[in-house]
Amino acid sequence: MYIVIAGAGRLGLVLAKKLKEDKHQVCIIDKNETLCNRLARELNGMLIIYGDATYPDILKEAKIEKADVCVSAASSDEDNIIICYLAKELFGVKRTVARVNDPKHIPLYKYMKVDNPVDSTSIIARVVEEEASFTDVVNLFSIKKGRLSIVRVDIPEDSPVANKVLKDIKLPPNSVLVSILRGPDIIIPYGSTVILPGDEVIAATLINLEKNLTKKLIGKI
Amino acid sequence: MKYVIIIGCSKTGKVLAEDLSATENVVVVDRSLKVLDSLREDFNGKKIWADALDINTIEQAGTKEADAVFLLTGNDNLNLVMGKVIKRKYEVEKVVLQVSDSLKKRIFSEEGLTIVNRTYLISEVLKKCI
Repeated sequence: MYIVIAGAGRLGLVLAKKLKEDKHQVCIIDKNETLCNRLARELNGMLIIYGDATYPDILKEAKIEKADVCVSAASSDEDNIIICYLAKELFGVKRTVARVNDPKHIPLYKYMKVDNPVDSTSIIARVVEEEASFTDVVNLFSIKKGRLSIVRVDIPEDSPVANKVLKDIKLPPNSVLVSILRGPDIIIPYGSTVILPGDEVIAATLINLEKNLTKKLIGKI
Repeated sequence: MKYVIIIGCSKTGKVLAEDLSATENVVVVDRSLKVLDSLREDFNGKKIWADALDINTIEQAGTKEADAVFLLTGNDNLNLVMGKVIKRKYEVEKVVLQVSDSLKKRIFSEEGLTIVNRTYLISEVLKKCI
């Protein structure tokens, strides 16, 4: 794929290098001349363009009309929005992705039809919040920018679901038990499976319902 | 009396706000308190100290009821983004924005969105001086 990245800050550079490793063609645009000169010396096989990507002639120089994706990673939200808008409306780029610097600007990205505004601040806040919470729930991994989580819950002695048959347990909507780890055994749960204290339950849940699931399985949050 | 919102209140915005507030219902928005304080004593309107690149600010200024919105911050891209959003979301009849780049002025021009380019205006005036 051919990917144009506007903004060679930390995010832009890490992304560019990663994409290059994955054999994509990458072009970086930045408005800092010194930085561009340095990048042109240090990075091989990447097109580096010095200029303000909110101007159509600079985007044209980057051959953005040939790009499969335009990523705007500038530190100013109005610039990111304009870059994505021009890429899409003027040059017909199919997919535009932008880094959102301030979460309160997200509605503006949506109104201006940016395909994928990535709100790094909120994503990091969510991850930190999860890591900092002291429960028996461990987030194993997240899908769809953290909206769907796969969690591991250690069932305590006093759990309201301990020694109960699964079909008698009413789980919150949009949550599902994937498997039960009991000592060396991996159990794929059915309606007749009994949950025992000490079990490690692997469950999939939507992030906003995680608390409901925790409450159900542990009894407290 | 028309309800007019002026976003960005240094230079052009300031003069416009002071003039219009004598006859119209004016709200000015600026992120600098200093700029807002610099409005003439007889400025007869409402001041909002806030970041213009924010839907909440736009709501707070009463954009829904506005007859006209002027975007006069020194930032072309901010003026363009907010101009488009205000036009689309609030269907304000007259949205006027200042953009210094003439190519961007051409690209973003659409019905109901008046884009003013200072250089172009001055050159037109100069031509008339001959």
